[in-house]
Formats: sequence, C-alpha cells, structure tokens
Amino acid sequence: MKHFRRHAAAVLCALAFGAQAQNEPGITGKTIRIGLFAPLSGSGMAYGFDVLNAARMWYDKVNREGGVNGRRIELVIEDDRCNANDLVAAVKKLAEQDKVFLLNGGSCSAAVVAAREYVEREKVPLVMLNASGDGALYPPSPYIYGAFSISQHAVGGSMVQFAAERLKAKKIGYINHDDAYGGWNLEAARAQAAHLGGVDLQVQSVNPNITDVTAPMLKIRAANPDVLLLTTYARPAALIIKKAHELGWSKPIVLAVNGTADLKQLVENVGAKDAFKNVYIQDVLADLPGSPKLRWVYDMYREAYPDLAAKPGHPQTYMPYGIPPAMAVVNALRAAGPEPTRAKVLQALESMKFDSGVMAGPIEFGPRDRAAQEAAIYIKFDGTNMTLVPGAFKSVWQYKQ
Amino acid sequence: MSLAEIWLFLQQGVLSGMVTGSVYALLAIAVVIIFKTTDVPNFAQGEIFMLGSYVALFLTLVLGWPYLAVIPVTLALVAAVSGLFQRIVMERVLASRGVGVQLVIATLGLAYALKGLVRQTGLGDTPRSLPPLAPTDAVVIGDAVLTRLDLVIFAVAVGAMLLLWLMFGHTRVGKAMRAVGMNPKAARLAGVNLARIRALVWSLSGLISAVAALLITPKILITPDIGHIAILAYAAAIVGGISSLPGAVAGGFVIGVAENLVGLFISTNAIVVAPFVAIMVVLLLRPQGLLGGRLQVKKV
Repeated sequence: MKHFRRHAAAVLCALAFGAQAQNEPGITGKTIRIGLFAPLSGSGMAYGFDVLNAARMWYDKVNREGGVNGRRIELVIEDDRCNANDLVAAVKKLAEQDKVFLLNGGSCSAAVVAAREYVEREKVPLVMLNASGDGALYPPSPYIYGAFSISQHAVGGSMVQFAAERLKAKKIGYINHDDAYGGWNLEAARAQAAHLGGVDLQVQSVNPNITDVTAPMLKIRAANPDVLLLTTYARPAALIIKKAHELGWSKPIVLAVNGTADLKQLVENVGAKDAFKNVYIQDVLADLPGSPKLRWVYDMYREAYPDLAAKPGHPQTYMPYGIPPAMAVVNALRAAGPEPTRAKVLQALESMKFDSGVMAGPIEFGPRDRAAQEAAIYIKFDGTNMTLVPGAFKSVWQYKQ
Repeated sequence: MSLAEIWLFLQQGVLSGMVTGSVYALLAIAVVIIFKTTDVPNFAQGEIFMLGSYVALFLTLVLGWPYLAVIPVTLALVAAVSGLFQRIVMERVLASRGVGVQLVIATLGLAYALKGLVRQTGLGDTPRSLPPLAPTDAVVIGDAVLTRLDLVIFAVAVGAMLLLWLMFGHTRVGKAMRAVGMNPKAARLAGVNLARIRALVWSLSGLISAVAALLITPKILITPDIGHIAILAYAAAIVGGISSLPGAVAGGFVIGVAENLVGLFISTNAIVVAPFVAIMVVLLLRPQGLLGGRLQVKKV
C-alpha cells in the first residue's frame, strides 16, 4: 500500500508537470510549435529570406536527430516584408491564431522593434533572427533576445576599433543615418573613440532616403579624415562610394555590415570597379563566407535547398546568420528540460553562452545584456575578391541605465 | 569654416544642385501640366516616374537591349500608360460626374497599382541603378567636380524644357492644351476635343516623367518606393507657382540648389527638410509662388 501510494504520487507529479508543460501554448506531448518570420518578399528580402531558410534547416536537422527532449519542432512561417505593420500583424497571428510557444524572427531592426510592446504585454519569448533590434533589446526586456548577427551599437564601436587599431586612423570620417539606427551605432562609436583616446570623429548624418549625397561627401572630404566609415544601408552606401570616387577620394572606406547584403549588386550600383580600390567591408561571420571554417554551413544549405542553391544570388549573403538564433532556441529548449515552460526558456536564455562556430564572437547573454554578438571581422574587398584582415574587433559599449 | 571652403561649397552646391534641380524641374512640369488642364494633383506622379525607371531597367538588365532601343520604348510605353489611364479611368470618373476628390483618389489608386505591379516583377527586391548614359569621368568646373553624365543630364533636361516651351507656344496642340488649362468651356466651344487633349496632356506628363527617370536613374538607386521623389516635384511646383510652367522650372532649380546648400552650410540632417522649408517660406512671403502671377479671386 505504501509502495502504491509512492508510485501514485510520482505518477500524479509527472502528470501535473506534464499538464503544466502542455498548458503552455504551442506545446503538446510530441511537438513544440515555433513561429518563424522574416522578410520573404519585397525590397528587404535580401535581409531575411535565406536567413530564415538557414534557421529552418537547423530546426530540420534537430528534428532528424530526434527533436528536443523527445518533441519535434513544428514551424509556422510568416512573411514580415521588413515592415513594422506587417511584422506586428505576423507576430499577432502567430501568437493568437497559431498559438506558438515562442517567436523566432525579425531581420529588419526598425520593423522588429515595433513588436516589443505586444511581445511584452503577451509575455511571449521573442528570439530575433538577424535583426540588430537595439530598440527592442535596450532597456533589457525579460522576453526579448537578439542581435545574433551584431547589435547596431557594436557595429559602430567595432568599426572605430578597426579604423584606429588596424588602419591607424586618428581622424575618422563617419556617415550614419539620422534615425534611431544611426543614433545607436554613433553612440557606441563615440564610446569607442573615448575609450581609445586621441581619436577624432567627424560625423555626417543623412536621411536613409537621400538621393543626392554631394553635401555630406563634400563635408567629409573637407574635414580630411584618415578613413571614412559608412554605417548606412546599402542604397545610401552605394551612392556615397560612387560620389567619393567621383570626387577623387582615395583613402580607405569601411562599409558596415548593414550595407553588404548584396555585394554583387553594390558593385553594379556603384558602376566603377575602381571605386573599390581601398574598400573594407565589415562582416560578423567567424571567417570569410565560403571559407573552410564555414563550408559546413554552405554545404548544409545546398543539401537542404538544392533548387534554390542553383539559382544566381543564392545563398544570400546573410544566410549563415540564421543558424545561431536557431541554435540558441534549441539550446534554451533543451535547458528547459522535458517539461518546458516559457519562464524556463527565458531563464535559460538569460545565462546562455556558446560558440556557434558561425559568428565572429561568442553568443552570450547576461542579466543586462540582450545582444548576442558584439564582435566583427573585416575584409578587404576590391569589387570581386575578398581578403580577410586578421583578428576580430569588439565594441566596448555596454548598456547603462 | 574657411573662406576657401565656403567658396568651394558654394560652387559645388550650386552646380550639383542645378543638375538634380533640372530633373526636379522636369517632374514639376509633369505635375503642373496635369494640374493646369484637369485641376487634379496627380498623386501617382512619383510612381509614373518609377515605372519609367523600371521599364528601362527591365529592358536593359533582363532583355539586354541597348540604350538606343531602350529610350524610345520606355518613353512610348510610359506615355501610353499615362494617356490610357486618363482615357479609361479618369474620363469615366468625370463622365459619372466625379468630383475632384474622386479624381485624386483615382490617381492614388494608380500609384498603388503601379507599385504593386513593379513588386511582382522581382526587380524591386533590391535597390538598382541603370548603367550610365554617358561616361562618369570627372569634369572640373572652377573648384567643383561634376561628371560628364551630370553635364548630359543637365543639357538633356534643359533641352527638353526648351522643346516643351516651343510646343506650348508654337504648335496647335500646345495652344489647345493651354486653352483647356485657361478656360475649358471656351476651348470646347472653339472646337477643342477636351477628352483628347486631357489624354494628350497625361501622355505628355508620362513622357516627361520617363525622360526624368532615364536621366536620373543612372545617378541614384531606385526601389519601388522611389515615388517619394514626387514630393520634391510638388515642392518645386509650389515654390514656382503651381500653375506656372516657367515657375516649375525655377522651382526645380531652387529646390535642387537649396538641398545642397542647406546640407553644406547648415546640416546634412536638414537636406530632406529643405524643400518643405522652401515651400513654407514661399507660401508665407509669396503665396502664389515665385512666378505664379497675381493672386486671383474666383467667383463661385
């Protein structure tokens, strides 16, 4: 009788825990439903289409290997079109209609930031894809983790570190956007310059829709800096590189990862290959795209999507960035144990640290740190060939209340 | 800022501003001729310009046609689309006693339809540019640096404006367009076919927009959202006087130069605000625009 009671108590406990897990949205005895979203169409497609494909192939791999603690990962996919309205609509649909356990998505910062209020109100964990999304990460939210590619703050800080340390620049020209995105990277760039000491930043901020970049480029040229750092999107970046070439600029130009989504198109848009004689691009991968260290990522993509891989322009430049967020989600689910709850997953994310083997730095969160990745590598790009500059360059900026 | 720097900024700002301003002037003319003859502000102006850019991109990049073939086909196609829109949609709205608001909404509908159409092609997935119409090597004028392409853009835009001036002043169809703009009832009584003239005006506006697109697309990068450039055309038209063709030209140059000078002497953040500041200043000091003539009171 004593034995029977003990067994019955154990069974009841197990049932209770099981029931607790299965009371969580998106969890059944056999599946965990995850809402995956990215821009799958429209002009922002290059930022997320293949990133989502990379995340999906990682989840498929995990499923083939038996899933997470015996449960298969079931994906519901939505197109956010890199647009705040569409992204919030997708997030609401995934949370309310599809009842997903957690959200994994967002490739465009401005768009994903718009989801912060909803996610916090509904207490749904959101693990971003490759969006920097600093506006959603700081002040730290208990429900949101991101910047797996790199945080926008770290973009600016790392670029100043590279310019000063590697290119020995003392006076740095800096063109950013006059929006929140530009404000974040400039804040960290200034922090890095102050940290280094003796570095003078000459800043010109431009609207993302600017069509004539004569004024900012002329002012930068007049300031006579040792190097020009561009943290703009691809369109203004191409216009500035083109204008710099027209004005006879020959000093180094360093282009942030924000503007490198489609390098072939960038070269075509600039029009003159000579304009790339002294250009460096920032990347956040562990090595050159397609290098032996990262070959497994590209092989995995080709195997998962043979038809897509055969098309020109695929895999898109940012494709590998989709793997670390999926790894983080899987690791957090594993750490949450056989009866996962949203609270347990969030707890696991807060203390997460691992080397993805894909990105320049470790994936690491902390109680006040919601940005996964804060280091970058730099590549000399002549319009066709890429040469890796040794070392990774880390931003020192930290969130302070 | 040293005197030498101020002098350099002035030269470069004015010359570069004249180049972009010449394209804004063309777009402002496209806005003004429709407004003058139909009393409708065409809110699809930017998208018609965008259509011109994407037609040229499609012919050049996808079909691999040379510019000699691309230019006439782009001009003809965009002019035809604009004219047909007036003939098929706007005339029907007018025939059903549609008021101004309905006509404006119809132009908004065209804007969304064109944007959607371009997005369907896949060409709009990434910012793109046309290959330059002329070499892009530098030409030094004083201390300022332009490119040969800049000079070609300026020359063609000014040439197009001269042709329009000749057409409006010295051809029957040009005079008929002006007559419809001044007094449509009187023009009809004098034997002018209003529907035909309105369709021709829309076609002409499309043609001018396509010229602007062919000129500026090698210099900028386009996406399906590039239609916002029409705001600059409206700014130019308002600054010049919304019903004045010479005013549209002057307004275009003012906006082009103002953008650069504001960016150089005030702040690069203020470049996009400059056209709106120019509108406000003109509306405060001279509400009819720079060349808008005297203020008139209409009896209703």
